[in-house]
Amino acid sequence: MSKNLVPVSNWSLFCGLSSKDLCPRGRYKCMRNSLLLVMLAITLIPLSITSGLNFIQYQQLLREESQVNARWNAESAKATISAYLEKLEAAITVVIDTYTFEDLSDGKKLEHIFRQLKKEHKGLVDLSVVGPDGIQSAYVGPYGLTGRDYSDSLWFHKALTRRMYVSEVFTGFRNVPHFVVAASKKDPYSEQYWVLRASIDTETLDRFLALADTETLEDIFLVNDSGILQSASRYQGKAMDNFQLTRKPKQNDILIFEEMRGDSSFYRAVSRIQNTPWLLVLDQQGAEARKIWHSFKVRLLFTLALCFLAVGGMVVWLSRFLAGKFREADEMRDVILSETEHSNKLASIGRLAAGVAHEINNPLAIIGEKAGLMQDLLGVDQNFRYREKFLDQLGSLQDAVVRARTITHRLLGFARRMETSLTLIQLNDILQEVLSFLEKDATYRNIHVILQLQEHLPVIRADHGQLQQVFLNVINNAIDAIRNDGEIHITSRRENKKTVMVAISDTGPGIAPEILQNIFEPFFTTKGTEERKGTGLGLSITYGLVQKLGGKIEVSSEVGVGTTFIITFPVYHEGREGKSHDRA
Amino acid sequence: MTAHRILIVDDELDFGTTLAERLELRGFVAKAVGGAEEAMAALAADWRPDVVLLDLMMPGVDGLATLDMIKQHDARIQVIILTGHGSTESGIIGMQHGLFDYLMKPVDIGELIVRINEAGAQ
Repeated sequence: MSKNLVPVSNWSLFCGLSSKDLCPRGRYKCMRNSLLLVMLAITLIPLSITSGLNFIQYQQLLREESQVNARWNAESAKATISAYLEKLEAAITVVIDTYTFEDLSDGKKLEHIFRQLKKEHKGLVDLSVVGPDGIQSAYVGPYGLTGRDYSDSLWFHKALTRRMYVSEVFTGFRNVPHFVVAASKKDPYSEQYWVLRASIDTETLDRFLALADTETLEDIFLVNDSGILQSASRYQGKAMDNFQLTRKPKQNDILIFEEMRGDSSFYRAVSRIQNTPWLLVLDQQGAEARKIWHSFKVRLLFTLALCFLAVGGMVVWLSRFLAGKFREADEMRDVILSETEHSNKLASIGRLAAGVAHEINNPLAIIGEKAGLMQDLLGVDQNFRYREKFLDQLGSLQDAVVRARTITHRLLGFARRMETSLTLIQLNDILQEVLSFLEKDATYRNIHVILQLQEHLPVIRADHGQLQQVFLNVINNAIDAIRNDGEIHITSRRENKKTVMVAISDTGPGIAPEILQNIFEPFFTTKGTEERKGTGLGLSITYGLVQKLGGKIEVSSEVGVGTTFIITFPVYHEGREGKSHDRA
Repeated sequence: MTAHRILIVDDELDFGTTLAERLELRGFVAKAVGGAEEAMAALAADWRPDVVLLDLMMPGVDGLATLDMIKQHDARIQVIILTGHGSTESGIIGMQHGLFDYLMKPVDIGELIVRINEAGAQ
């Protein structure tokens, strides 16, 4: 019956195979793999998605933070340079407003003013006065540039047209990159413009820009619209080198965009410094180049790997455990089903047998009584010619009735409807009794019975006659199996606190596996053509009796070696009297 | 000691009459009837048996109902069930209704006489 049932654990669909295609082992392996895949998918997919989302979100956060940092740093650097220039411009404005061209053309006065200015404005290289004709009339500084003609210089013309002018960085007569802050003033006598000029070297700009340096800052420098570096750059070169910006801001906005350097990206902030020809360029590390990002990635990967390992391990263990449990449940179910099937079969055949026995009992009683009456009458009449022969025949008839009655009563016993009387019994005593019946037969066939009976075996509660029948059947079968010359080993011992067992082994030819599985079924017999025909009820009655007494009978056999029956019974404990076994 | 009077109630009349004859040969006064009605008729005819051998499964009124009728008529009459359809349950019910004993067919005549004598001695 169990073969036709769909197993509890039918997972073969996951393997793309029908359950018919798979052997039981394959089915459980397939189920284990299916469980493994499903559980891995259930656990690892959400874990991966969550980790991926975290990854993207954190990356986005760092990018935004890098852009904000770039903006903030650029504004800060721009403010620093603007403040420096405004302060210098204010000082020069004061000087030019206070003094006339003639006053400042006096070298001593100019030198005094230069010293005063230099105290406040570090980076100031020299101070000079340039007349309307472009000739430097007075000069204080290290280069001795008095009398130089700047009439062709761009800064000079720009200074003349504006009140205050900050120049681009250039090398000029001194061949050193510098810039000038120049202010012009109209001479009230000649009504011509003259210029007060201060030179500042680019290192001053470098120093101010260096103030903005932070851990995440990659580069900061100044460049003009023509693509000439106005200060030194970490990556683009020194002042006066060429560098072209890809994008420039309009007016005073800070423009931030992503750029690549090699394999890594960074954020570039570009902003114009008001009233100068300069563009401030600030390169901020990209999110992916930051240490914090690397550390996050390592931690995320490490955590993810740990989770994968832990979840994977647990899922592997769980899938094996569950597949094992399913297998156990299936096997248990198969055993229960086959036991139920067996019991049901025996019970239904038992009911049938009981019905038949009852029906046979009545005609059997008539035959018995008729034969009995005939015997009675022959007992009265001593003169009947065939009296002895008739008595002999009637005796045989009565014997046949007794035999038939024994069978019907056995059948009824098999159906568990016969009266039983439960008493406390020592198994060894019963075995000895049974052997006394069979001793003669065994000796005649040269079969040695070897006893290994444990002393002081605990008693069991059973029906004496039924127990005799159990052992009589099994030992009788052993003798029949051996036929001639062999051994029967009978062992009794206490198996554990709850059970005692008797093992009966013979050295007979053994039982083939296909026969072994039917051995306890009613009317199944192998004693076909021999001198003794079997009823096929012996072992099934034995099976029923043992079960009724709360015991268990098992058989194992090997063809050519022999057969062993192991019968176990529950030990009788006082105070726990029979319960279910009391009722016959 | 006077011979016990035995009434055999069994729908298998062949069985009943044969058994009655065998009991007569052994000194009993025996009578066989085929069912409950005849049995009650025999009792009403003032033929009081000491022991009734009663079949269990009979057409019409069954053995246990007949037992009740006999016991109602005369509780002193001892009844032994003699049946081919024995079961523990019916035996127990019979005992609860005043049954003396319960025997399975086919029965040995010697064993039956022992039980009849025991019942008759009650």
